[in-house]
Amino acid sequence: MSVTALDLPAVVRRSRARRFLRRFPMSSRLAALLLLAYLLIALTGSLWSPYDPFEAGTGLPYSGASGSHLFGTDILGRDVFSRVVYGTRDVLYLALTSTFIATVVGGLIGLASGLVGGWVDELLMRLFETIISIPLLVLALLAIAAAGPKASGSSPLLIGVVVLVYAPRIARMARAVAVDLVTRDFVTVARSRGESVRSIVWRELTPNAAGVLLVEFGVRAGYAPILISSLGFLGFGARPPSPEWGLMISENRAALITAPLTVLAPSAALAVLVISLNLVTDGIARALGRSAERTP
Amino acid sequence: MILRLIAQRLALAVGTLLVVSALVFLFTSVLPGDIAERVLGRESSAQQRQIFRKHLHLDDPVWKRYGVWIGDVARGDLGRSLVNNETVTATIGTSAKNTLFLSVFAFVLYLPVTLVLATLAALFRGKLADSVISVITLVGLSVPEFVLGTLLIFGFAVHLSLAPALSIVNPGDGLFTRLHATVLPAVTLMVAMAVYAIRMLRDNLIDVLDSEYVRMATLKGVPRWRVVARHALPNAVGPALNVTALNLTYLIGGVVVVESVFSYPGLGKMLVDSISVRDVPVVEATALLASAVYIVANLIADVLAMVLNPRLRTA
Repeated sequence: MSVTALDLPAVVRRSRARRFLRRFPMSSRLAALLLLAYLLIALTGSLWSPYDPFEAGTGLPYSGASGSHLFGTDILGRDVFSRVVYGTRDVLYLALTSTFIATVVGGLIGLASGLVGGWVDELLMRLFETIISIPLLVLALLAIAAAGPKASGSSPLLIGVVVLVYAPRIARMARAVAVDLVTRDFVTVARSRGESVRSIVWRELTPNAAGVLLVEFGVRAGYAPILISSLGFLGFGARPPSPEWGLMISENRAALITAPLTVLAPSAALAVLVISLNLVTDGIARALGRSAERTP
Repeated sequence: MILRLIAQRLALAVGTLLVVSALVFLFTSVLPGDIAERVLGRESSAQQRQIFRKHLHLDDPVWKRYGVWIGDVARGDLGRSLVNNETVTATIGTSAKNTLFLSVFAFVLYLPVTLVLATLAALFRGKLADSVISVITLVGLSVPEFVLGTLLIFGFAVHLSLAPALSIVNPGDGLFTRLHATVLPAVTLMVAMAVYAIRMLRDNLIDVLDSEYVRMATLKGVPRWRVVARHALPNAVGPALNVTALNLTYLIGGVVVVESVFSYPGLGKMLVDSISVRDVPVVEATALLASAVYIVANLIADVLAMVLNPRLRTA
């Protein structure tokens, strides 16, 4: 039987949590606070943002920063500050939901595949490797094009696309973990007890792969906002009048000279979010004694 | 032994490419909307459309069309663009050359920047220089290419007027004109690649600098720069080569965004444009080419790793 956090006495668990926190570096703690702020803005922004993000003509177009428009206005006279605030909700929702689904789906498939082995494993891994060998962004663009103009820009499509490009990559990693775990005694014992694949994956493999999967989730979640906003920037992501940041940057790019804040504000919001996500992931990885490997 | 392994990888790569081609074809063949209506316009008669569909075999089942298409591709015939009726090979050729130029330019910038910054960070580990480089690389890998590109335009094109905001190149341009036109996108791609490699190479270098043979060299009285250049770097570069190969594969996706930011007429922009206007043959060919380059780059990475690390050859 595997030892999971739940089996341990409360004292051990508490000291584990304390040790985890102690190993959590300062920069990651600050980043965690920033992430918390992003979450708060996403959840409560609609209550206090000064303007409706879709309302045109709240001021003169490209009027620049002022007391009533902190980041100025865009070409339609919409308040950029309110749009950045509302965009937080969209970007966070899309990035976290899609990465979470991809980690669960990819993780479970990968673990099961590594456990079952044989031709099922072989076939799945060949399939995933094929999908991985289409460059990430190219695959995302193809999938969006295939979904057609009607679905284009909808949240389910964007989430689906991120899952499509992430899940095979996560599955391949989870499978590598499973292949290592299945040689351990507790899996052999569970197998000889006659436990089902589902039960072994859930009760023996998942708790032991949780650390790896958590770090992987963090690394992917750090890249998801970039992917989603890149699609928005290219015109294949969120659709106007959405306040998604990538789309906003692309819409306001023409005004880079006259009203630079309309571009710089969403850029900064995006960059700080991704930096925070990456720092928190690095902290978690270090506290767990792993490394957060990022490949281009 | 190693030749057989390479042959195996090669066969696997060809197989993968074949399946990729089927996937790409499947994706593009479900593109909704009547291609005939789009190409011929709304005023076209039903009969015209039918002739068009028949001409392109659009009413055949998918597997049959795939068979015809992949057969043509194998013979080097990629079809004709639906937009300008030129052969896809001709349409893609110029773009591919432009992308190759940009990639090589970015790569030439990438190598020295990575080597210098990683070495500096490793030598001054824990000191100010290391922290600064660490922060820069973290920011670098957190800022999307299109934001970085836009910021570069803002700084160097708008404010300093040092480089053009749009990378417009013409066929007759000389080398210097081209370099000047593409310096901002090349720097954008370089930064996106270098940030990963710098972190990787720094960590490797630190491991190597702690090793006994480096301490031995230092104790022998070998000058510091020589220890780094002759003893440490060659041994640290091996694992980092893998990141460089991965960076090559990154370039293929990276150019899609970067070329669009700077309106540079390369393959990446062509893919985005052809998807927008649903020019199916061009989309298929571009996506297939991108995947082929990706697979080849990965193959080279695998083989390089095997050549450099004998332990992998037994696999």
